[in-house]
Amino acid sequence: MRTKAFAAQIMLSVIAVGAASVVHAADFDWKKFQGKTVTFLANNNPVSAALLTHKADFEKLTGITLKVDGYQEQQMRQRLITVMNAHSDEVDVFMTLPSREGQQFAASGWYADLSPMTKSAVAGDYDYAGLSQALLKAATYDGKLTSMPMNIEGPVLYYRTDIFKKCGVDEPKTIADVEAAAKKIKACDSAITPFVSRGLKPALPYTFSNLLHNMGGSYMADGKSALCSPKDKAALDTYSRLLRDYGPPGVVNYSFPQISALYRAGRAAMDFESSNELRTVMEGGERLKDTKLIPFPAGDGGQVPTAIGWGMAVSAYSKQQDAAWYFVQWATSPAVQKLMAVQGIAPPRSAVANDPDYRKWIDEEPVRKEWQAALDVLAAKGSSEVGYPIVANPESREFVGQAVQDLILNQKTVDQACAEADKSLDALIAKK
Amino acid sequence: MPETAATLTENRQRLELTALSSPAVLFTVGMIAFPVIYTIWLSFQSFSTTGQQSFAGVANYTKLVSDSEFWNGLWVTFALYILSLALQLFFGIWLALLLFHARRLSGIVRSLFISPFMMPPVVAGMMWLVILDPSLGAANYLLTSLGLPPSDWLASPTWVIPTVALIDTWQWAPYVALIVLGGLQSLPPSVYEAAQIDGASPFKTFQRITLPLLLPTIVTATILRSVDLLRFFDIIYITTQGGPGNASNTLNIYGFRVGFEFFNFGYASALMLTLTTIVFGAVLAFNRLRNAVAW
Repeated sequence: MRTKAFAAQIMLSVIAVGAASVVHAADFDWKKFQGKTVTFLANNNPVSAALLTHKADFEKLTGITLKVDGYQEQQMRQRLITVMNAHSDEVDVFMTLPSREGQQFAASGWYADLSPMTKSAVAGDYDYAGLSQALLKAATYDGKLTSMPMNIEGPVLYYRTDIFKKCGVDEPKTIADVEAAAKKIKACDSAITPFVSRGLKPALPYTFSNLLHNMGGSYMADGKSALCSPKDKAALDTYSRLLRDYGPPGVVNYSFPQISALYRAGRAAMDFESSNELRTVMEGGERLKDTKLIPFPAGDGGQVPTAIGWGMAVSAYSKQQDAAWYFVQWATSPAVQKLMAVQGIAPPRSAVANDPDYRKWIDEEPVRKEWQAALDVLAAKGSSEVGYPIVANPESREFVGQAVQDLILNQKTVDQACAEADKSLDALIAKK
Repeated sequence: MPETAATLTENRQRLELTALSSPAVLFTVGMIAFPVIYTIWLSFQSFSTTGQQSFAGVANYTKLVSDSEFWNGLWVTFALYILSLALQLFFGIWLALLLFHARRLSGIVRSLFISPFMMPPVVAGMMWLVILDPSLGAANYLLTSLGLPPSDWLASPTWVIPTVALIDTWQWAPYVALIVLGGLQSLPPSVYEAAQIDGASPFKTFQRITLPLLLPTIVTATILRSVDLLRFFDIIYITTQGGPGNASNTLNIYGFRVGFEFFNFGYASALMLTLTTIVFGAVLAFNRLRNAVAW
C-alpha cells in the first residue's frame, strides 16, 4: 500500500514536471515569425564561423530565412556605419564589440534595447541569468541592454614546449621571464621567431592593453591621457622591444591572421594572440602536442588579463526587431553556445563551461584544458579596457598604435612617442 | 526669310532628340550632381563623436591646412603617383612594342601578358600580401635562395611606397600596353616606309617617328591612369592600411578612415573634395597637353 502510494507520488511528480515542460514549450512559439527574412551583418571571424555552421538548424526551427552579410571586421564596421547613418532597415542583427564601439554606438542610438525582450519573449530554457553578468553589464548603457554576449575571449600566450625544452627555457611566470625566454631562444635557434604578437596599428591595442595593465599602467589618470606616466612608458618600451628585437620581420603589418599562420607553421616560439585563435592555430594538428597555453604572465601590476566578448545586437532601425530577437536568442542560447564551444569558441556561460559534453571535449587534449584554465582566469580577473574608456575609443586606439609603431620602427624615443600620443589623446578626450 | 520644309524637319528632329534623351541626361546629371553637392554641404558641417552634426563654416578647411597628417597624405599621394605613373608608362610602352612586333605570339601568351589588370585589385592585394610576407612569403624565399638579403617590403617605411608602386605596375602596365598597342596599330605605315628608304636605324625610327606619333595615345593613357593613381586606395587598404606608421597613408586612405572609422564625415568630406580638386586639375592639365601634341 505504502509502496503504491509512493509510486503514485513519483508518477504524479513526473507528470507534473512533464506538464510544466509542455506548458513551457507551448508558451514559446519558435515559429511565430515563420516566413520572415532576418538579415545578419557578420564579422568573418572564428566566432561567426562557428555559429553559422548551424544556420540551417535555426531556419528549420523557426521557419525564418537568415540572410548573412559577412565581411572582414573593418569592412563590417564600415558597412554598418553606412547603413546606420542612413537609418536604413536593411540590417536587422549585427555583431558588435562593446569594449570598442559600445559607448559610441549606444550614444548614437544604433542599438535596440533588448531588456524588455529578455523578459517577455524568451524561451524557457534560455537561462538569461546564466550569462556572464560582467559581459551583460559591459553591454548596458544608461539602463539599456544593447547586445547579448556570444563568447568570452582575450589574449593568451601560446608557446612551444619542444622549443622551450630544446633551448633550456622554463615557462615564463613574469613579463621579465617572457623577455628572458625570447632572448635565450634567439641565441639558441636563429630560424625561430622568439615572440610574435600584434604590430598592426589599429589591432595592437588588444594585446598591448593586457601588458599595460599587467605592468600596473592605465590609459587615463585624472581625466587626462597617461601614456607618459612611468608605468605606461615602461609598458610601451617593453611591448615594442619584444616585437622589435624578438619579433618577425614586418611585424608592424601583423594582426591575428599573420600571427596564427606563423605560429601554426612552426616558425614562432611564443604567440601572444586571442584565445579565439585556438582553432586556427590547431588546424592540421601539427601544434596540438607541442603547444602550451597560459594567460599572459604577471607584471608589477599583477595579472589583469584583457577579457572581452563579441555581442549580438538588434538594429534600432530594424522594422522587425521581434523576429531579429529570435535569431539573437537562438544564437546565444545554452544549446547553441555549447555547439560553438566544442569548436573552440569560449562560452560566456558557466553552465556551458561545466557541461559534461564540453568537459569531455576539453579533456581530450591537454592544450584545451589549458585554454579553459586561461579563460577561467580571464573570466575571474579580466578587464575589458582596450584603448581609452571614452566614446571615441576606436580613434584612441590609432594614437596608441602609432606610439608603439614609432618605437618598433625606431623612429622616436619613448618620451617623444608618448608625448606626441598624449597630446593627440588629450585633444580627443576633450572632444565632445 | 521663311523657313523651308527641310529646316522645319531639322528643328523638329532636334527637338525630338532632346526630348527623348533628356530623361537619361537629367538622371545622369542628378546621380553625379547630388553626391557632389551633398559632399560640399557636409564639408561645412562639424560632427561630434556620436555623429551629431552642426554648421562649422570653413573650420574643416582651416583644420586641413594645419593638419600634419593631411600634408603627409599629400606627399605620399604624389610620391606614389609619380613613381607608379613613370613605371607604368615605361613598362606599358615596352609591353605594347613587344606585343606589336612579336606578332607570332599565340593568343594565350598575349592573354597571359595582359591578364593582371583583369584581376580585382583586392585579390591582387591579398595575393601580394602573402607573396611579400617577410617571414613566410615566396619573394624573400627567392631572394635568400639566390644569396640576396631579404627585404621587409610592405613593412618597411622606406620601401613601402616603391613596393606598392611595383604591385600596381604589375597590375596596370598591361592596361597601358593595350591602349598604346591600339595607338601603334593606327600609325600610318607610309612614314615607316619613308624612314626605311632613308636608312633610319630602329632606334632612330622609334625616337623620331614612333614616340612623337604615339604621344597623344600616351597622354590619353596618362590621363586614365592619373585619375586612378591619385585616388590610390585598394592595394594600400588591403596590404598596409596606410602603415607602417603613416608611410603609405594616401589622402584617400586618410579621408576614408576619418569618415568611416572616426565618424568625422565633415572633415572627411573636406579632405575628399580637396583630393577631387587635385584630380580635376591633373586631368585638365593633361587634356591641354594632349591637345598640344595631337597630330
